[in-house]
Amino acid sequence: MVDEEKGKGPLKGIVAFVKKAYRAMERDMAPLDDDRSEISIKRRRFAVIILVGLFFAAVMFLVSIAISSGGIIPLSDAIDALVSSISKGGNDLDTVELYIFQSRLPRAIAAIGVGAGLAIAGCMFQALIRNPLVDPYITGVSSGAGCFAIAIVVLGISLSALDDYSNYIIPLAAILGGLVAFGITLSVAEGAGGSATNYILAGTIVGFAFTSVQTIFLSMEKDNLVNVMWWLYGSFANITWENAFLVLIPAISISLISMLWAREYNLFLTGEDQARQLGLNVRRFKAGMMVVASVLTSVCVAFVGIIGFVGLVIPHACRMMLGGDHRLIMPASMVLGACLMLFADLVARIVIAPLEIPVGAVTALIGTPVFAYMLVKRGRDYDG
Amino acid sequence: MDDLLRVESLGIKFGDFEALREISFSLPKGLLVGLIGPNGCGKSTMMKCISKLHTHWTGSISIDGECLDGMRPMDVAKVVASVPADSPPMYGMSLMDFVMLGRYPFVNKVWWESPEDEATVREALRTFGLDGLRRRQVSLMSSGERQRALIARAYVQEPKLMLVDEPTSHLDMKYKLEVMEYLQGMAHKDVTLLVAEHDISLMARYCDLCIIMKEGGIFTIGDPKEVITEKLIRDVYEVDARVGFDTDGEIYVLPKKRVQG
Repeated sequence: MVDEEKGKGPLKGIVAFVKKAYRAMERDMAPLDDDRSEISIKRRRFAVIILVGLFFAAVMFLVSIAISSGGIIPLSDAIDALVSSISKGGNDLDTVELYIFQSRLPRAIAAIGVGAGLAIAGCMFQALIRNPLVDPYITGVSSGAGCFAIAIVVLGISLSALDDYSNYIIPLAAILGGLVAFGITLSVAEGAGGSATNYILAGTIVGFAFTSVQTIFLSMEKDNLVNVMWWLYGSFANITWENAFLVLIPAISISLISMLWAREYNLFLTGEDQARQLGLNVRRFKAGMMVVASVLTSVCVAFVGIIGFVGLVIPHACRMMLGGDHRLIMPASMVLGACLMLFADLVARIVIAPLEIPVGAVTALIGTPVFAYMLVKRGRDYDG
Repeated sequence: MDDLLRVESLGIKFGDFEALREISFSLPKGLLVGLIGPNGCGKSTMMKCISKLHTHWTGSISIDGECLDGMRPMDVAKVVASVPADSPPMYGMSLMDFVMLGRYPFVNKVWWESPEDEATVREALRTFGLDGLRRRQVSLMSSGERQRALIARAYVQEPKLMLVDEPTSHLDMKYKLEVMEYLQGMAHKDVTLLVAEHDISLMARYCDLCIIMKEGGIFTIGDPKEVITEKLIRDVYEVDARVGFDTDGEIYVLPKKRVQG
């Protein structure tokens, strides 16, 4: 009872804040007949996206830490436990602190990295290939990564010299496999002339090839399928402190760095010929960004497996809300992707507790109704 | 020597097909030049060579005395602007953002354009009567508005040479005249424009010079009122046409029937 009242005050404030921010954004989006500078409007909108996005991500983060299959801890207690466990440096923790510090915090950290990374990789690929159905796995990265990871599990490859690093063998194999698949796609597509269609076709056939090999491996491994299931459909269950930051840091830093080219992505929307005529070195930009986006996807996939939907739909949702400027879409995709992933992981943990369901199944279940609603509302004016 | 565009024995091959051969001409500053010829005669190919979309040509092209060969895409974009016939779907991009893309070669900052860039774009939007639409999505605009937007985007590139590909192909007669007036206005500001277009009467009315192409080569170059004749139409298009002058002395071309065999 006391907790509820405690929660009400801030909650009211939060709702009011969100409403206000949303109204301010709506005002900005409406076509007004005034003479304000478009760039300053855009800068302000950028700031609003960052603030609102970070706020939502923080709320999602705390909620996902507070709720688990074991029960709900009041948000304030969760924050207390979080702060105290971090200040203790992970030693001498009580039960709640231990729970939060050891199992939920690393998962939440990895979910932020993967969600943001996949969303921005999807955004990049959609712009580079100029096709709305493209997702981060279009260049065969997921199939290659899956194939290699499952080969490791099935063949039981373990090098004694690497025993200390056994937790990293599968992720490393996944990254390697993803990059091998992408390398083949790249060389086939560039050999064919390097057009968007070439990339889609090359990526699709390379994906098929790796998936076939993966299926062969899977059929060899009848007894131990559970071990590979989590990887094929994505899960944060294997995330620990050892690898949480290995996901977060590269994913976030690659995402932030690729945002420096947001203006070039805008140019790319006009098509490759026009982008070149406007002064962009199209071939170099496309090849470079394909590599960056594929590395980013591999990093996201390596530890948590293949999580669909986020990379396909989050960029579209952001375009529908914010228009076509990548300087707004890319940061918005990052925070929205992180929020969705945190929420999806939460649902995956609690819905049939104590068992977990693959997070890849949850992302689509949560996202589809929301996206369908947006499509009905805004689809008429949306040409993506 | 003060030619803006100088093309010498330009040729290009796609496999065995010789798309352009022995093209030579030069154009001074501030001229509106019509590029006329049947489909597939090499008009677009030639414009793509000049904007360096094709790079494997032989011969030489120089703009304002500078050879095109060694120039980076960024440097080319500072002197040559292209206006394509239409634009692909733009994923919800606003008109302001779309025209702002023309400033790309000049913006030094990584992310945001400067107020000067914005002022240039707003001035261009006013010039082309688009300022009220600046927050509209490009894909929701009419063909006429979009054509003007494409010209405005080329305009903010502050080019010396503008390559315009079939600017009036989707437009009704009012917008055709309007677009040609805008292009003529550009020519008065010392920009040289090379306009590929199928409407010969329209070209003859507005252009200072006509380049007539046939089968990858130049058929003739000259004042439209002198070179456009019934014989030329017959030779180039294999069409019997009536070429006449109305009471203002403007040329009109009326196609009648195909020349058989």
